[in-house]
Amino acid sequence: MLAPTTSKIALGLCLGLLLVACGGSDSSSTTSGSDTLAVDTTPKETELLNVGGKLFSIPSPVQTALALRKAGLKYQKDLTAPLDKGEAVVGKVAQSSVLGIYGADLAYAAVHRDGQRAMATMQAIEKLGNKLELTNSFDRALLEQFKANLGSEDSLLRFSGTAFRAADQYLKNNQRDDVSALVLAGGWVESIYLTISDPAAAKDQGLVNRIGEQKNSLNALVELLEVSDKEKAASALLAAMKELQALFSTVNSAYTFQEPVTDAAKKTTFINSTSSVMIPADQLAAIMAKVTAIRNMMLA
Amino acid sequence: MRRTLIFLTLALSVPSQAQELCQTIADRCEKHITAQYIPDGQFYRALLQGDEQAEFNLTLFGGTTYRVAACSGDADGVLVFSVIDKDNNVLFSNKDQGNAPYWDLAVTNTIDVKVEAGLDPSKAGSGCAVLLIGFKK
Repeated sequence: MLAPTTSKIALGLCLGLLLVACGGSDSSSTTSGSDTLAVDTTPKETELLNVGGKLFSIPSPVQTALALRKAGLKYQKDLTAPLDKGEAVVGKVAQSSVLGIYGADLAYAAVHRDGQRAMATMQAIEKLGNKLELTNSFDRALLEQFKANLGSEDSLLRFSGTAFRAADQYLKNNQRDDVSALVLAGGWVESIYLTISDPAAAKDQGLVNRIGEQKNSLNALVELLEVSDKEKAASALLAAMKELQALFSTVNSAYTFQEPVTDAAKKTTFINSTSSVMIPADQLAAIMAKVTAIRNMMLA
Repeated sequence: MRRTLIFLTLALSVPSQAQELCQTIADRCEKHITAQYIPDGQFYRALLQGDEQAEFNLTLFGGTTYRVAACSGDADGVLVFSVIDKDNNVLFSNKDQGNAPYWDLAVTNTIDVKVEAGLDPSKAGSGCAVLLIGFKK
């Protein structure tokens, strides 16, 4: 069992070659300098996969939508982005951001059992997905599945989560991490926008806390945008996100460790540590204004 | 010229093999995020060599049960992962659970954690690490 199989040896060789290729700019320079093909392949190799290092996770918009419903906030369809915007937006940055926005709107509609709006949003996502060449993730089969399950909130959320994960995987496989990051940014901004746009949210401590708890997610998002935007196409958006990050820096949090409890039979660990966040009232208002401005920028 | 072509063939085929490898692992890993869980919509992967660790930070929201699936190699149990809080307390490690390929985290209050994942050196020296996350409503 422990002895390496042929496939393991092959894998080791392949990964070894890949790692050598990733760091081996010197060796490529020894080949003919006029061979542009050899030069062109190098960036693709280095961008293929992270080798160790940091990965980033951004909370799913579905979780925010569920929190809004749990807090008893009224469903307001008018808060969601216009569905014809997807047709109008031009360019990778705008299209990717709006795709993310629609993803959050889809979750919002599905969680509030507005099947008709969820379906219309999914159709707009499919069209935008075509523009971004994501047809394998948002295809006709998904639309049909969606249509057949409009009455099942769970199915809709699961289908959309699976489709967005497939899209994320496809983008990362094809060295389009910039698009992946922009889709996440659009979804994150829209989730916060849907939360703060109801005046009742500011009076609900649970939702105010939920906004403050996104501080680290925003930090990860900014880093992700910064690392992936090699063409500097999203500089304006990144600058705005950094301004938002500065506003979030005033959010304070406290954390107290409590011993977790593991139930091995249920394959579950109960994490009982406690935490709290504090957002100064004036900062909350500034965060709300900034998030709205960023969303408007994405939809402009 | 011929040498360059051989180099090019290798350079182009290796990434493609690595992607196929990750895809196979992802397909296997996805089965651990069962129908009760909603996928978080993201795909996390890293190439690991030797004792390298992939690290990612995430916020776990209170009142939610998360499922973390961690896969590598050609069978379950190759990837070792730990969930660590901001004070560096290990909240969970699948090493204590026979390298279980997935585990549920029931979170009472929102916390920021770090997940560290590495290969079990007795099972693999290098490979593609895939992490998937789902959550219950």
